Amino acid sequence: MNITKIYIYLMYLIVISCVISFMLKEHYIIASLLFLGNMMPGYAMAASMMGENEN
Amino acid sequence: MINEQIYRRFNHTVAACFVIYFLFPEYILGIKREYFIILFWVFLVAIEYLRLNKDLKVLGMRDYEDNRIAGFVWFATGTCIILELYELDIIPQSLAIATIIMAAYTDPLIGEANQRFGDKWGIGLGLLCSFLIYQLIIGELFYSIIGSFVAVASERPKIKWFDDDFAMQIIPILVLTLLSSMDFSPDITQNILGEN
Repeated sequence: MNITKIYIYLMYLIVISCVISFMLKEHYIIASLLFLGNMMPGYAMAASMMGENEN
Repeated sequence: MINEQIYRRFNHTVAACFVIYFLFPEYILGIKREYFIILFWVFLVAIEYLRLNKDLKVLGMRDYEDNRIAGFVWFATGTCIILELYELDIIPQSLAIATIIMAAYTDPLIGEANQRFGDKWGIGLGLLCSFLIYQLIIGELFYSIIGSFVAVASERPKIKWFDDDFAMQIIPILVLTLLSSMDFSPDITQNILGEN
């Protein structure tokens, strides 16, 4: 596993942690924005990584 | 190979998570939290120095960034300035949060829309995205409309030494902060997250 992949997994972890933190503080609008804004690029990134693994 | 464009977009949107700063306690390990902003910025500048001068390989760089400061440094610099200005009580917390999230999402959306559907769609979707974010966080049409127009206008000029990642944060927040201090402007919620 190279550094780039670790960095990408770290980015997912950061997004999840931030969404949970804002939810726990009951700031649902910010939590939702962080989740929704990262959902599409996060999905595309995961798809790209899975495509790479298949190759 | 990882798709570098998707990687760049994801990096950009993840930058919205900088707003977690506002949930941090005022002191971390006995050190004022604002010093961590400077530390973080110095760390990024060091990486950028190594990339430009010592051939450090960083994934997701555009060709034209080979010999100039990369977008991620510009973005982080803009965010660090916003956070420091907030700590100095110069800008309201609500504007800081809205602007950081807005810049993190609107710039890649404009880039993607320009590429897929053309410039007009880029401008339209950029305006819509930035308006919605400002409106959801600040909740004042006055600031949302002006903020979205200023943000999209800040993205347009392509200047070598003034990146849109920086401009899309600094120009809107300065304009909105200035407006919020004017008598004719609607009141703005200063803090939307409780002080720690």
